[in-house]
Amino acid sequence: MKKILALLAFFGFAALFAQTASNLTEFKENIASQKAEAKAQLKPYRFDGSKITYFNFKTYKQIKEVEIYLFNNTDYRFSFNGKSLPNDITIEIYDKEKTAADRILLKKFDGIQGKNILVESAELNDTYQSKTSSDLRLKRVFVDYVITAVPGANNQMPTMKERGAVVLVMGYKN
Amino acid sequence: MNKINLTRNLAAFAISTLLFSCGGDSDSSSQEINLVDTTESSIDGNLEDLFDSPEFDYQLPSPLQVASIFKNSGLAYNAGATSDPGNEDSYTDELKQMLNFGVYSADMAYCVLNDQSNEARKYLEVITDLAERIGMEAVFENKDLMDRFDKNIGDKDSIEILMLDIHERTEIYMDENDMQHQQAVHFAGAWTEGMYLGVYDFEHSTDKDDVGAKIAEQMSILQNIIKGLKDPKNEGMDLAWIVNDMTKIQETFDSFQSVIDYFNDPTADELYLTKKEYDTLGALVKDLRNKIIMP
Repeated sequence: MKKILALLAFFGFAALFAQTASNLTEFKENIASQKAEAKAQLKPYRFDGSKITYFNFKTYKQIKEVEIYLFNNTDYRFSFNGKSLPNDITIEIYDKEKTAADRILLKKFDGIQGKNILVESAELNDTYQSKTSSDLRLKRVFVDYVITAVPGANNQMPTMKERGAVVLVMGYKN
Repeated sequence: MNKINLTRNLAAFAISTLLFSCGGDSDSSSQEINLVDTTESSIDGNLEDLFDSPEFDYQLPSPLQVASIFKNSGLAYNAGATSDPGNEDSYTDELKQMLNFGVYSADMAYCVLNDQSNEARKYLEVITDLAERIGMEAVFENKDLMDRFDKNIGDKDSIEILMLDIHERTEIYMDENDMQHQQAVHFAGAWTEGMYLGVYDFEHSTDKDDVGAKIAEQMSILQNIIKGLKDPKNEGMDLAWIVNDMTKIQETFDSFQSVIDYFNDPTADELYLTKKEYDTLGALVKDLRNKIIMP
């Protein structure tokens, strides 16, 4: 009887291991294809790099921030892919980091889940110049992913349904 | 791409998941609670690495973009300014290999943008060799990049796209193998070389105010490079000397009167340093670059 139980436990362990690894591998592979999709939308801008931000939805709101440099006399396009999001999130783009009380919101969008959204630095610069009444160009921007709270989420051991990622691909005009 | 580390990490994660699943709920006896707590920290570590990005992150520009920014500002090609590809064999420790992988990447970008295909090819060769020595041989394993380079040697646009492909393959490889922390080491080499080429041109030419402004602009990246070098995952490498030198460059730059005035003036757009400040900054950059490329 003990041997049968041990055998069952072993197979259960192996099956669960295989399932978990397979789910996570599939998650990574999906992200790779979403990155390709986001990259394709950069044209005619030239690909310069990508940043994949992974997170787990929890019972409380979280913010993850990515700093991006914008150099003078260079135009940029940002391609956000939200096809690895089990729930929607909000993306906010600011001129300063989240600890700065006087930062300016340049762009905000919801509804990225399942979509690919484009933003260009020209638009961000226009908003910045209009809000500051100046001719200055942005030297950097801070992309905030506002990850909404999900009631009932498993904060310590997230399930696959609570895992999310946003693919951000950046390009510049040569 | 080599997925060994990804598989290993996933296996570690899956085992942690199973251990956690077996741990019982937190309302059980104190003995069980202790068991869960121990396991929990190992799970957190794995998840943090694999599927939970840090609360704050940053994106550094590619060497090609940096070279392109300098080129558009009027930076001229200076034969002999780049690092000697013949030194590649003498970089025997891993840190020097990683740093000079970055240095040579910046040199290749500089040559490509200045139509120096034969020079660029030499750098592609040494980058390929160094990649193999620092465990990133999978990026170049098919030799297709060299073949593509040879087929397109006269086509600048195709070679630039090839450079971006190398950058992307490296990025993917590091992401898949949980090596993102090493990107700051490569970039430290690339940044130093890019700055050096800017300083070199600025010193050897007249009327290069725009190049000077770009040198100052590139200083904005330095703080995040230092932060990246200090990543606890890089602890095994002897990075103290480069962190110290880069910190000194940052502190010196921050103390320049032009920089102080620039940040106190909300209407200032472009930062120009004085001749003396450029000289001081240039000397520090050259000193660091020499330490990096020294065999």
